[in-house]
Amino acid sequence: MTALAILVAAAAVSWLLRVLFIAVVPASRLPAGLRRVLDHTGTVVMAALIATELGHDGGVAALVVPSGPLLALLAAGAVAWRTRHLAAAVATAVVVGGVLALLGLP
Amino acid sequence: MDPRQAVAVGHLAYEVAALRHHDLLAEAARRRAIHRATTRRGPRGTGAAGDAWAIVASVAPFGLVVGVTIALVAGRGVPAAAGLVATPLLYGGSAQVAALNLLASGAGALAVLATVAIVNARLIVYGAALAPHFSDQPHWFRWLAPAVLVDQTYAAATARQHVDGRAFRRYWLTVGGILGAGWTAAVAIGAALGPALAQLGPLRLAAPACFVALLVPRLRERRALLPALVAAVVAAAAASAPSGLGLLAGAASGFVVAAVMERRRP
Repeated sequence: MTALAILVAAAAVSWLLRVLFIAVVPASRLPAGLRRVLDHTGTVVMAALIATELGHDGGVAALVVPSGPLLALLAAGAVAWRTRHLAAAVATAVVVGGVLALLGLP
Repeated sequence: MDPRQAVAVGHLAYEVAALRHHDLLAEAARRRAIHRATTRRGPRGTGAAGDAWAIVASVAPFGLVVGVTIALVAGRGVPAAAGLVATPLLYGGSAQVAALNLLASGAGALAVLATVAIVNARLIVYGAALAPHFSDQPHWFRWLAPAVLVDQTYAAATARQHVDGRAFRRYWLTVGGILGAGWTAAVAIGAALGPALAQLGPLRLAAPACFVALLVPRLRERRALLPALVAAVVAAAAASAPSGLGLLAGAASGFVVAAVMERRRP
């Protein structure tokens, strides 16, 4: 199987995951309790995505020990909390991360 | 009927009609607000196009990283054309990077497909959570539009809970279309510029910063705090696990805590 065929098959798998509860099995058939839990999807997965990125180099400690990436993301969080502006928060993280890297903070 | 009863019934009917009229006016106002929000760019980028460009700006650096990966694995048996063709089809940076690295290390088709399924498993949950927005949509939309379902489009759509029907369709297609084009362009640029871009370290913060910006406003709701905290701690502890298992473990732990909390709610 060529690399392209495998990647196209991987795309098909991803598409099936996306449509499963939208077009294949109606989510309205899911129990009400499960749907309430699904309301937490955004917070739970976003938190896990951020922590996975930070924890690659330092595990749980990376969430509390000051580092360039942690401080940059905290600055982005503060901007997002105040302004709810996505692009401003991202720009803040990149700028703060860049400045801290120049200052030698790992 | 007693005359006083007749008057009371008439008055009640008038009240119901007035309330209905008020509801219709409120509904019309709500629809006008949604129309404005989804067709124009607000002062702080609150329309569909505004959301889309903000998301493109935040994911573009990650797209460049995916492009650099395509350039790097091209010398290890994975043609750059295959990586580029797969970009808009796979439409997921983490899964694509994992698949490209596995292919370059000689992994078989089953290993690659299983890894992509694990990394993208959260899309099942996103689909279930967004299903109410899709339930009354045309057949073609329900089957094709989820192709642009990713972390950012999910989060953007759930931030607009009251957008539904045709307005939701327009919002979703605008955000998904602009993001798809921007993402593919960023990956192509990354593949063309290659390893020279790998030196720009802070750009790697763009993707997690995007997730931070999407997460933080949700934390104003107190019941969201504990599941998010548990998910973060477990994901960080298991971050070095292979094949995205750390992410899955963190998300699963958060869901367990959320389920326990929801069961205790009155």
